[in-house]
Amino acid sequence: MAITLLLSFTACNAQIKNAKTESVKIYGNCGMCETTIEKAGNIKKVAQVDWNKDTKMATLTYDPSKTSQVEILKRIALAGYDSDQFLAPDDVYAKLPECCQYDRVKKSEMVKVETIDDHSKYNHEGATNKSNETKQVVNQLKSVFENYFALKDALVKSDGNLASAKAKELLNALNAVQMNKLSNEEHIVWMKVMKDLVFDTEHIEETKDVGHQRDHFNTLSDNMYQLLKASKQETPTYYQHCPMANNGKGANWLSKENAIKNPYYGSQMLSCGITVEKIE
Amino acid sequence: MVNQKNIYKKLLPIVFLLLATQVVFAQKVVRYDLYIKDTIVNFTGKNKRAIAVNGQIPMPTLTFTEGDTAEIHVHNRLKESTSLHWHGLYLPNKEDGVPYLTQMPIKPNTTHIYRFPIIQNGTHWYHSHSGLQEQIGMYGSMILLKRADDPTFRKGIDDLPTVPIILSEWTDYNPDNIHRMLHNANDWFAIKKNTVQSYGEAIKAGHFKTKLTNEWKRMLAMDVSDVYYDKFLINGTSESQLSQFKAGDKVRLRISNGGASSYFWLTYAGGKMTVVANDGNDVEPVVVDRLIIGVSETYDVIVTIPAENTSYELLVTPEDRTKSASIYIGSGIKQLASPLPKLKYFEGMKMMNDMMKMNGDMKDMGMNMSLQQMDMNTVMYPEITGENKPKSSQHSDHSNHTMPSNDIVTLNYAMLKSPTKTTLSENAPVRELRFELTGNMNRYVWSMDNRVLAETDKILIKKGEIVRITLYNNSMMRHPMHLHGHDFRVINGQGDYAPLKNVLDIMPMETNVIEFEANLEGDWFFHCHILYHMMAGMNRVFSTENQAPNPYLPNKKWAYRKLQRESNELHFMFQNDFATNGNDGMTMLQNTRWSFGTEWRLGYNDRHGYETETHIGRYIGRNQWLMPFIGFDWRYRKHETPEKNLFGQTNTKDNRTQFSLGVAYTLPMLIILQTEVYQDGNVRVQLRREDIPLSKRFRASFMVNTDKEYMFGLNYIASKNLGFRTHYDSDMGFGIGLTFNY
Repeated sequence: MAITLLLSFTACNAQIKNAKTESVKIYGNCGMCETTIEKAGNIKKVAQVDWNKDTKMATLTYDPSKTSQVEILKRIALAGYDSDQFLAPDDVYAKLPECCQYDRVKKSEMVKVETIDDHSKYNHEGATNKSNETKQVVNQLKSVFENYFALKDALVKSDGNLASAKAKELLNALNAVQMNKLSNEEHIVWMKVMKDLVFDTEHIEETKDVGHQRDHFNTLSDNMYQLLKASKQETPTYYQHCPMANNGKGANWLSKENAIKNPYYGSQMLSCGITVEKIE
Repeated sequence: MVNQKNIYKKLLPIVFLLLATQVVFAQKVVRYDLYIKDTIVNFTGKNKRAIAVNGQIPMPTLTFTEGDTAEIHVHNRLKESTSLHWHGLYLPNKEDGVPYLTQMPIKPNTTHIYRFPIIQNGTHWYHSHSGLQEQIGMYGSMILLKRADDPTFRKGIDDLPTVPIILSEWTDYNPDNIHRMLHNANDWFAIKKNTVQSYGEAIKAGHFKTKLTNEWKRMLAMDVSDVYYDKFLINGTSESQLSQFKAGDKVRLRISNGGASSYFWLTYAGGKMTVVANDGNDVEPVVVDRLIIGVSETYDVIVTIPAENTSYELLVTPEDRTKSASIYIGSGIKQLASPLPKLKYFEGMKMMNDMMKMNGDMKDMGMNMSLQQMDMNTVMYPEITGENKPKSSQHSDHSNHTMPSNDIVTLNYAMLKSPTKTTLSENAPVRELRFELTGNMNRYVWSMDNRVLAETDKILIKKGEIVRITLYNNSMMRHPMHLHGHDFRVINGQGDYAPLKNVLDIMPMETNVIEFEANLEGDWFFHCHILYHMMAGMNRVFSTENQAPNPYLPNKKWAYRKLQRESNELHFMFQNDFATNGNDGMTMLQNTRWSFGTEWRLGYNDRHGYETETHIGRYIGRNQWLMPFIGFDWRYRKHETPEKNLFGQTNTKDNRTQFSLGVAYTLPMLIILQTEVYQDGNVRVQLRREDIPLSKRFRASFMVNTDKEYMFGLNYIASKNLGFRTHYDSDMGFGIGLTFNY
């Protein structure tokens, strides 16, 4: 047994010409990690990786004329495992089996940096100086809009269950609105659309069929648009249009971001649509 | 002394005045000297020829400030002529750098001086416009800086540190050979890329019907790009690092795509990217997860470095996702970006089948596609539409692994908005033009309205008029259409703030509208910037009426014919099977419409016989399924009795010399039906199909005709020029042999 092992070992090594051997640290947990790490690193006749799950140390044997330590470690990182040179992509790490989700010691704390957001920041700095009174009124409808956006996001994900749950929350928010606290303009629109808003929301809540939900979301969005137009908002909202939805008749929706994420199609035609209006 | 002081006092204001005028009318001339030389590079372990400028690939980055005068001395030390085109720049026509259109080629061992005022700012680039020189090194960044007192100067954007980035690709094959192979429908690149999409692979993937429908509709296997590349490069290298930046820094990357035929995906490991300019023109900042940069486009992108002691990968992946290139931004441990998963080719084929009518037209199913908003290729992207099949292997309890993500924000043209109004003069007359982009993948013909440059005159336009162009892509590939010397408005729903561009990527089945004011005199090239499409003739010239003569191009008429001829070259092809029962082979010379070909079957003895057939034909129609031809046959074969064909006509094949008239037609399944009438009245009808892709490297072929001749063959493709073939021929019997093709 020992001889066969020895033989196979030398056979393995013999395949790699001008072999260079190095020892490096690779982060990981278990035996399954070992399989993945070694499989990712190995290339026949070029590189051989032997990782020890207890010491977290790997022995790299490779032909320096054909590859390098960097290349081997990059392949291993792309399989989900950090080293002192590379950090694995976050989504690849997240997809590792639970037992393999090792502690990422190398991943340093993110510094909070403000990103350059939409152009709104540059153009409309004055928009924040709204009086307190209007803010109060906004709060009346705020939860309605927030829940509408959550419902839209569920439809973007084509998730009927989630959409139904979000519709229920929207329904609660709609019922909680105290009419007498609405501004004059809001009140007028509210009276007009309230019934339809409740009607469509109820229907979205009742079913888990995304197609049916989207039919109602179409009219819901139209009414929500009217309401939002009459209401003062702290942040801009984008009114967006997809010409293909609703059997080619086109349909609209509201979004907090300028980038298109189509709630009528989800993933396949996610970016189909244009912003037709920016509501501030 | 007193006197002198007085003089100084008097002089001082004058000096100030002089200084001030210097600043205001800063006619600063910025000179660059470019030495163009042949060089040997080694990207893959093999030494190959390339072209270096001032000893480097890419060419040096040229930087100017708006208001400067550029003076660029081009010293051609090559053994061939050259030229340089300043991509995206407004300049006098004679400085535009298109040989035989705006100047004569720069001859070997001569110097040419380009001199023009810089009247714009932004990220641009420059490249050779001669032949395929751009593929082997002649591309470089050209950065035109905004003046600090520019009213459009954007704080927080224009004052950030910038890095010029030029993307490109490298192939060990000679680009002229690539060009020839593309025209000969050689599928060696597909083998290298593992994208043959053969019947065997189709069956394995459960897509046999898809493949069958595809061939029924007379399509060859499609890819998102045509050429196999060995390396992809960022500023001339596959991996590099910008370690001068630290946590919290914002960096503006001025990215140009100097690739000859590759679109590139850009993704960043440090989070979202902010797009602030496109094709050298400012756009309102847009935050995206990824974007695709078309051939010859430029994008300015701002990225941030989120954490200490970490560098973040900007991953540049060609559209076919065969390989990638990386640049790490920041210093310290490298945070990788997630690689883009392999394309699902059969999903793409299935989609293509649905979009293709039997007559070879595309149908968009009433979707009004435009502005990159609906990428039909999305069906091939596993990261968006999910993996092919759930991985049932090791960890079945984690079957959600490959859950697609639809939160990815991809940039498209509808999201681009100019920060300033871009409207054109209201009173100018409008000239409406419409072009249909057309193509034929099987013969690699790329055209507009089914005409290549060699088949069209210059398009005359009047100075001052607004030219509004509707482009419809009726071909199966995307095309980056580039207009020289102007920016055009892309009508994208942003009204008065339509973005300005000089390259428009147009995907299959899309319709887009662009418009520009013809305010510059001259001959302006308008073409597909995929180098091999341009060289196939996908070009037009806009020419303003009543131009002053161009000092660099005395004989314009002659030069235009020269330009036309360059993009309609004859391509040579040769193939011979050295087999145990004889030699089978063919040679062909073909251009856009004409085909001159000879086939031969030479036995080793008189009973097997010797025969050759020569055909001169012309391809008809956009799809080129029909080819009438005249032929010449010569055969010699010892036979005891004359043979009868299916129509009862007799013919001895002993020393037969005949002229013929015939027509070849490509049937569904890509079978060629060839009908010929010979001078003695004999008729021959033949069915034939070469290169049926059985597996990645196995190709089957058959032929059967009314002279009761038939042939079956099987070919194994061993390398670019070599194959093993076994076949059975009714005249010559069974044979095995070695196939050489060029």
